[in-house]
Amino acid sequence: MAHVTGVQYEPVAEIGGGAYGTVYKARDLESGQFVALKSVRVQTDQNGLPVSTVREVALLKRLEQFDHPNVVRLMDVCATQRSDQETKVTLVFEHVDQDLKTYLEKAPAPGLSPGRIQDLMRQLLCGVSFLHSNRVLHRDLKPENILVTSQGQVKLADFGLARIYSCHMALTPVVVTLWYRPPEVLLQSSYATPVDIWSTGCIFAEMFRRKPLFCGESEVDQLGKLFEVIGLPPEDEWPTDVTLSRKHFPPLLPRPITDFVPEINEQGAQLLLKMLTFDPLKRISALNALEHPYFQDEETLT
Amino acid sequence: MTLQDKLTTAAATGNTADVEALLREGAQVNGVNRFGRTALQVMMMGSTPVAQLLLERRADPNVTDRSTGTTPLHDAARTGFLDTARLLVQFRADPQATDNNNCRPIDLARENGHVEVVDFLQSQ
Repeated sequence: MAHVTGVQYEPVAEIGGGAYGTVYKARDLESGQFVALKSVRVQTDQNGLPVSTVREVALLKRLEQFDHPNVVRLMDVCATQRSDQETKVTLVFEHVDQDLKTYLEKAPAPGLSPGRIQDLMRQLLCGVSFLHSNRVLHRDLKPENILVTSQGQVKLADFGLARIYSCHMALTPVVVTLWYRPPEVLLQSSYATPVDIWSTGCIFAEMFRRKPLFCGESEVDQLGKLFEVIGLPPEDEWPTDVTLSRKHFPPLLPRPITDFVPEINEQGAQLLLKMLTFDPLKRISALNALEHPYFQDEETLT
Repeated sequence: MTLQDKLTTAAATGNTADVEALLREGAQVNGVNRFGRTALQVMMMGSTPVAQLLLERRADPNVTDRSTGTTPLHDAARTGFLDTARLLVQFRADPQATDNNNCRPIDLARENGHVEVVDFLQSQ
């Protein structure tokens, strides 16, 4: 990551921003293709870049060597020294010009076919499983960063950046959506790979509904909304390391998931419930989800 | 961010409601952002709702990129979004336009294996 950003990548529009830096849609002047430039400002000292940043970038580059079909390509990494104290690290990712949000919005009534949903879900879980097997959490899966090519290929974006950004994000609160967040994150308990499975479950439901499953306006509101569907968990599943008490919520019983996702088939409903499981230790893994009977009968793609 | 910058950001992220609201607020459909690009040039190519809205509001479909000479139809063809390519042509994008490498949209579609787009552009 030694070379300096030349004129190879020309920004054409800002597509994301936050406390940590800015994301641009840019054109690679060599290939003519669009790319996504993600910059992060990093504090430096006489030893250069912080070890944590170098380690994260090395991890992303290692992932890249697998050339996995369901994650976006990391095409380049550039570091530009801005001053003695600050270096700008720019990650150049493949840009796919359609996200799942748009893909769902575009689908004519009555929505995506069961076969299309099964195919999207298989690819999505393959991508998540790949990240998890390399000990990378996505942490912020949502329809906006699940990309779908014109050929229907799913590619996950925005993974593995959380730790590079985290120290910067603490400085300025960034508005992020709560809708795909699992209960353990909402409760500020410890978390690991099951976070991404919860988000994937929410997205699975959304593929049928074409609107989000849980639309909370605050952490507590979001928890209340998800208990209305999965029921209030038993006392022994409530994490012990959190401040918010279980007594804060009404004693709701689980409701049939098909009340909320009526178009889903029986196997799909079973899988969805295994993903939307309160206890992260009991939640299904990406690898096991791919083995679920829901994926056994190939539905016709239309 | 200026109104034009906001419009191009909304278009590039496929946010139809924001594009609509910004146009209502007075953003110019053919105005350029701080990078010298219009909304149609940077839109999320797969977002037919954004493409439709911009074109209905008279976005110029034959605007060329100042660095590469490509038109929106070149980008739709290269990325393989048939519905967007159809819309652009319907609103009089020139299928024979050539970029700085002397490529037409159909050449880029062919190069990237987008058969349906090739067939469509051939029929034009």
